[in-house]
Amino acid sequence: MSINLTNVFYTYMTGTPFERQALNDVSVSIEKGEILAIIGHTGSGKSTLVQHLNGLLKPSSGKVTIDDIDISGRGGEAKKARQQVGMVFQYPEHQIFAETVYEDISFGPRNRGFSAEEVDKQVHEAMAFVGLDFDTFAKRSPFQLSGGQMRRVAIAGVVAMNPDYLVLDEPSAGLDPRSRNAVFKEILALHKERGIAIVLVTHSMEEAAKYANRMLVINKGKILFDGKPAEIFSQHKDELVAVGMDEPQVYKLSALLRSKGLDIAEGIADSAELVKNIKKAKGWR
Amino acid sequence: MLSEITLGQYFPGNSFVHRLDPRTKILATLIYIIAIFLADTPLAYGILIGFAALVIAVSQLPVGMVLKSLKPIWIIILITMIIHMFTAPGETVVFTWKIFKITEEGLILGTKMALRLILLLLFSSVLTFTTSPIVLTDGIEKLLRPFKAIGVPAHELAMMMTIALRFIPTLLEETDRIMKAQTARGADFSSGNLLERAKNMLPLLVPLFVSAFRRAEELAIAMESRCYRGGEGRTRMHELAYKSIDYTAFGAVIFLAVGLAVLRWGAGLCAL
Amino acid sequence: MISIKGLKHYYTDADGKEVKALDGIDLDIKKGEFVAIIGANGSGKSTLARHLNALLLPTEGTCTVGGLDTVEEANMWDIRQQVGMVFQNPDNQIVAAIVEEDVAFGPENIGVPSEEIRPRVEKALAAVGMTDYAKHAPHLLSGGQKQRVAIAGLMALEPDCIVLDEPTAMLDPQGRKEIVATVKSLNKDKGITIVYITHYMTEALAADRVVVMEKGHIRFMGTPKEVFSRVDELEKLGLEAPLAAKVASELRKSGIKLPKDIITDEELAQALCQ
Repeated sequence: MSINLTNVFYTYMTGTPFERQALNDVSVSIEKGEILAIIGHTGSGKSTLVQHLNGLLKPSSGKVTIDDIDISGRGGEAKKARQQVGMVFQYPEHQIFAETVYEDISFGPRNRGFSAEEVDKQVHEAMAFVGLDFDTFAKRSPFQLSGGQMRRVAIAGVVAMNPDYLVLDEPSAGLDPRSRNAVFKEILALHKERGIAIVLVTHSMEEAAKYANRMLVINKGKILFDGKPAEIFSQHKDELVAVGMDEPQVYKLSALLRSKGLDIAEGIADSAELVKNIKKAKGWR
Repeated sequence: MLSEITLGQYFPGNSFVHRLDPRTKILATLIYIIAIFLADTPLAYGILIGFAALVIAVSQLPVGMVLKSLKPIWIIILITMIIHMFTAPGETVVFTWKIFKITEEGLILGTKMALRLILLLLFSSVLTFTTSPIVLTDGIEKLLRPFKAIGVPAHELAMMMTIALRFIPTLLEETDRIMKAQTARGADFSSGNLLERAKNMLPLLVPLFVSAFRRAEELAIAMESRCYRGGEGRTRMHELAYKSIDYTAFGAVIFLAVGLAVLRWGAGLCAL
Repeated sequence: MISIKGLKHYYTDADGKEVKALDGIDLDIKKGEFVAIIGANGSGKSTLARHLNALLLPTEGTCTVGGLDTVEEANMWDIRQQVGMVFQNPDNQIVAAIVEEDVAFGPENIGVPSEEIRPRVEKALAAVGMTDYAKHAPHLLSGGQKQRVAIAGLMALEPDCIVLDEPTAMLDPQGRKEIVATVKSLNKDKGITIVYITHYMTEALAADRVVVMEKGHIRFMGTPKEVFSRVDELEKLGLEAPLAAKVASELRKSGIKLPKDIITDEELAQALCQ
């Protein structure tokens, strides 16, 4: 079970003065069950890449398959395959349109052709995942909710389609730290319980280091690195900086302490572990 | 597709035409349009075509690009031509097929109408090609100012045009984004009958309106923060002023119109 | 420069409930100061910001700018010229379709004579490093560049103070760096008073003073050192302390003696490795 991109090229506005090669021979496989972070600066091609995962963009050349089915076709099978990939865009609350929260979340599952009972079940589950109480919110107008709540409604609208792969483009953009953590907690719970693949497009090295078990670094339409975040951050620090990326704060601090002679392990991804390492290095308890 | 339409675009340059005051260009275009409707002989049309060619040459615009501006409406030109061909009353039949017949008069009238449309369009596109939208808006505002007394909101109209110009690309991007998001949720914008399609557009239109209103509200607050309080007491960075080239241009286009008027009615005037 | 006394702002929401957006704020901001305001969503920081240039008026209490009371309608335009405001969404504050035309919008509004506008526009664009983009269309710029154009639009009004309401919330890291650098230079080189509202603690580190808000109140304030070393209190308010402060606090909790005011990596490294 995987999404496979084989030699994908994509060119914007072919044949005009604005022509731009956004993807340049990208081959990658995204396995069901992994959490993949995609990082790269604005204009690197990462948004273009994820829009290929469910056929929103068609490669200028190359092939995209989902669970071995070519998704470029017009047939029912290809359409079904494309719908295995849920896509949460940046600021997804801007796509809310229905009069009630329930109606908006049920839009996707209804379009997938789920039965009425199935739709109802999916909406209930999706709302539970994003922490919206059904009785409190289902009948309310989504437009009267707070920004953070609207974001949850929008994410629930995609989760309710019961996808095997869930792509999220900067799901925490514009949220305060508390809401950011809450959104990620919900995404991780979803991953754990349903075993779906999470593709996380992010500008935040912290998020990539903290949540992903694999990371793609995109630069100029090509995959620059593909591997474990810890390995990429510790082994390719200079290359990352050269393409406008950074390393997570915790790596920076670890490296600084190491350079001062403290014995801190490589690849520490959160502060609790760093504290433990410092204590050990200093011989404190 | 959208990027192929050159109609209404601005191409920066520094030609004689580019440097003209926008009011001159707007008024000259109006006078030229009047002249188009004065013309009724081949000679008159020849003069009009020659004048348009001269202006395009002086403006240093690539000819192909100017002609391309006809592309989006060539079908309208063709239909106009055909309708006139078939419906004009006339004696000299050139061609018949079943109940359709084309007369010589029809042929001439059809050609004439098509020519008028083409000239009108070419000349107006020279106006937009050589004048930035902002300057054009300034020109319109200044031209409408005398009509303020009779209730024409010149400043407000101009401000609306400015904001529309600024936000059209932003809203196009937004449309694209929402369309993709809803497509990913299984929305279908292209199949079904008319009613179904209209209903299917709701997931696109509602968010688009919501966003447009939100933008309008935020923009209004931002404008107020920057001391905007209507047209009263406002100054402009570029104050418009007629220069000698403007008078030259006015002279040329008025000479053209008067010349065509003389061509049309001159014989009658002589007879008096 | 700005003096806020006993400021309350109440309004009625869609459900008819009274919301106490601001509930007794006292704050003085000195000329040339760089003040950061942090707080979770709904803490009242945007509402406070909008009082600073009379977009909102106090329900109770006073807000004076350069000695002018914002309640007096006659003062409104003077206050807005003195205090500029940058908003979150870079797209929704640019009026014109050409950068320099947009920067000229403010001076045109206050009736600056034509011949003085261009020098002002050029100066303002230079101040934010956008001179090369004077003739560009704003919609083709990056988010950070758009925000810099918005700041230039305010600079052209020659203000004493600029209030930025989460100016980086919608930007990528590159854009965030640009804005922080621009704001710092306006403060240091041009002496502009800065009120900077943000979720990002790293951005607040650049300020002279950090104000922490919650539920319409100021909870505490002080230098970045004073504020960000209060790790637990910040976390309770839904905010994040810098990593070094967090690590130092954890170490202190397990009984290790470290100075209380560690907030940067260097300070922590020095304390640990002396």
